Amino acid sequence: MADTMHNITAVAGKELRSYFASPVAWVLMGFWAVVFGYFFNVYLTYFVETGMRAGMFGGPPTLHVNTDMIRPLLGNASVLVLFVLPMLTMRSYAEEKRSGTIELLLTSPLTDVEITLGKFLGAVGVYSALLLVTLVSIVILFGLGSPEWKPIAAGYLGLLLLGSSFLALGLFISSLTANQVIAGTVTFIVALLFWIINWAADTAGPTLGPILNYLSVTQHFDDFGKGVIDTKHLVFYLSFIVFGLFLTVKSLDTERWRG
Amino acid sequence: MIEVQNLTKRYGPFTAVDDVSFRVEAGEILGFLGPNGAGKTTTMRILTGYMPATEGRAVVAGYDVFTHPVEAKRRTGYLPETPPLYPDMTVREYLTFVSHIKAGRMNRAERDERIRSVMRKTHIEDMANRACGKLSKGYRQRVGLAQALIHEPEVLILDEPTAGLDPKQIMETRDLIRSLGGTHTIVLSTHILPEVAQTCQRVVIINKGRVVAVDTPDNLTHQLKGAASLYVQVEGPADATGALQAIPGVMRVRVSDRSSGYTGYEVESEPNRDVRRDVARTVVEGGWGLVELRPMRMSLEEIFLQLTTSEQAEEARHG
Repeated sequence: MADTMHNITAVAGKELRSYFASPVAWVLMGFWAVVFGYFFNVYLTYFVETGMRAGMFGGPPTLHVNTDMIRPLLGNASVLVLFVLPMLTMRSYAEEKRSGTIELLLTSPLTDVEITLGKFLGAVGVYSALLLVTLVSIVILFGLGSPEWKPIAAGYLGLLLLGSSFLALGLFISSLTANQVIAGTVTFIVALLFWIINWAADTAGPTLGPILNYLSVTQHFDDFGKGVIDTKHLVFYLSFIVFGLFLTVKSLDTERWRG
Repeated sequence: MIEVQNLTKRYGPFTAVDDVSFRVEAGEILGFLGPNGAGKTTTMRILTGYMPATEGRAVVAGYDVFTHPVEAKRRTGYLPETPPLYPDMTVREYLTFVSHIKAGRMNRAERDERIRSVMRKTHIEDMANRACGKLSKGYRQRVGLAQALIHEPEVLILDEPTAGLDPKQIMETRDLIRSLGGTHTIVLSTHILPEVAQTCQRVVIINKGRVVAVDTPDNLTHQLKGAASLYVQVEGPADATGALQAIPGVMRVRVSDRSSGYTGYEVESEPNRDVRRDVARTVVEGGWGLVELRPMRMSLEEIFLQLTTSEQAEEARHG
């Protein structure tokens, strides 16, 4: 058990180092910070202006920073995740295959599960760093007013789970090819599919409709945004992640047989 | 230390390795010789647990590579054809990472000492802080070797360890491999023949996925040279076999070719006995007219060619 942990952390540490040693993580972080900052600015301006107008002319009386500012902000961040994360996982296996370093991993005394979990945790680490960057803006809000922290925490948990699901998906797709660009593009397309799948739910009839709704990754995020942690959604994301990682492990094994 | 039994690897209809069996004793250096595409890399990849065999069994350091892969891998050092380096990591970072995944837990001082000693052995200390991606071909190969040694494995599998090195580096690498023999069991592949003669105690010649010969380099040379042979060509459709056979020291005479007006003989004599003078005299005295007389000595190159091409010829005949 201790050996397994050691192996997983060794692989995860190597992943983290290689993300930050290459420009990838930094470029993504810059892009992420700029776009999130832009969203933040837009919502803050909107919030302040609407608030002032309400104060002057007696409009709708209560604007709450949690529901009217942070919730839509995190909702937008979840869209951003869709664009950013495929770029994070696209190299993970594809690059190792292209350069031949996969041979080192597969001939080391590591199990496929250890390799996959290590890579997954490394990617989650970088993603967590992205989320941390956005917390700077939230902290500013605490300076200006007094938002409730619990819905914010729930929203961030939702973002973490949503993103981790995409990372598991991306790892699987990256394990299928030696080409980063293909891995990234296909991950984006499949993630997008999971994103919009419920748009057809209303017209899909009584049987298919709920299934499409259930498969939609956004649908499950909404409650987290509202500050509600529902087991149903936790189970969805966790099974999404486990299934993605399971497929990745299987794909590594198939790769061996095909050579 | 290594036991390979009836190993077969098929990719769809293509058979890369066909019923290969051999053994390597502890401390032995075994050369894996064959043309490109003969199945050397595939066999090595099966031995290192990188891919499973379609049929057959391989036991490395007492563990079946298919049923106990982790135990076998812990005892095997592997240098693939292209050293598996991460270009962004420095040599020291790289070896630290590899030591973590291959040698498992140990305290820091022990790990540092391990890395230092491997770098010393492979002469890469000067490059410790250089990024792997910026190393020359020779240094890459040596870092690859260092990586294979870091967990002090009992078995070393080296796929073309001297490929792409300059002559001086080749000498150094061969010396290093020879010095590792005895304490390590080594299988190395190559398509360079002198390398086998210089570094290996035993050779497996493989062609088209099949083992063609297994022996020591010396024995292979002797056995195939067939004691000492002479080639004699005389004028005319003569029959000199009897006369040649009568020469003391000659063991066997065979007509090897007959062309318009000339006849060629292969004369096999007892080892370490020079019969050239007698053969020449016999031919001249018999009035046949000596056209050519030369020793048939086979280098390892010729043996290799003979083994691998006779195989092809045979196949052509069958198919």
